[in-house]
Amino acid sequence: MILSDGRARLDMLDQRIVAKLARDARISNRAIAAELGVTEGTIRTRIRKLQSEGLIQFTVVTDFRMAGSPNLCMLGIDADPSHISDLARRLSEIPEITCVVALLGRYSLLAMGLFTNIEQLNDLMTDHIRSLPGVQRVEASISVHNLKYEAGIAKITRGGPSDG
Amino acid sequence: MASPTLDSLDTSIIDILRGNGRATNQEIAERLSVTAATVSARLQKMEDARVMRVVAVTDFAAHGYNVIIALGVQVRGRNVRDVGRDLAKLPEILSVNVMNGDHDIELLVALRDFSEVQTFLFQHIAGIDGVAHIASGIAVDIVKFEFNVVPL
Repeated sequence: MILSDGRARLDMLDQRIVAKLARDARISNRAIAAELGVTEGTIRTRIRKLQSEGLIQFTVVTDFRMAGSPNLCMLGIDADPSHISDLARRLSEIPEITCVVALLGRYSLLAMGLFTNIEQLNDLMTDHIRSLPGVQRVEASISVHNLKYEAGIAKITRGGPSDG
Repeated sequence: MASPTLDSLDTSIIDILRGNGRATNQEIAERLSVTAATVSARLQKMEDARVMRVVAVTDFAAHGYNVIIALGVQVRGRNVRDVGRDLAKLPEILSVNVMNGDHDIELLVALRDFSEVQTFLFQHIAGIDGVAHIASGIAVDIVKFEFNVVPL
């Protein structure tokens, strides 16, 4: 499979721990241990292992309002196939761009970002993205309404802070 | 909705939790020279006001999701938001956005393997009233995925 990288799947205990954490990320190891009938040390070890394998990470999400109620903008980019890897890396380096995915199908690359004004988005597109080598076409669309967002499932692409 | 104002203690608590979302209230309290009860109250207040949340983010791989698809949907003959609400009920769909652009709705979909793609697209999604066209893109590499600001 394209996205799997051979990491072992979660066993039953891992899955039950993850389910508890998904409901309350700050539940104590002791409380999880009591509910699942194992020792606190087992819970600590399991969570550490999941973290070190990049399967779980604990972080803070803040509401849109705290960032000036931005709009999610999606950029569908068609590109010269020989430039796609390079472009994906260059796009990832742009701080305003929070998501970069190489695709098969409708576009070569899909990039997303949060913008509080259209001018800022336009400047980024014209000054930084259209001019990148290999870019053939950029199609922008703006989210006017979010109906669903699962904050708890994502691609963990960077080493999260080591905690436990 | 106006954004609630945070004082420096609130933002300090958020900063510590960004580094370690599972720091205990006691650990946070010691670093900020306040009581654990104060930390607990501040966290409760911020969560109640839907300012922030500490989340356990699990990787697609932890759920066995090996196929991630970005879909653009065109709607005809039905209110776009109504179609979006129906799509949002499908558990495989992680996000639903009503768009101003070529497509009326953008979806992010997670499936376990390729054998599920056909049924999901052509029966589950195409079966929803008002879905007139689906443009699909299969993720081959997720290079960056950092959503720290979300609708709460």
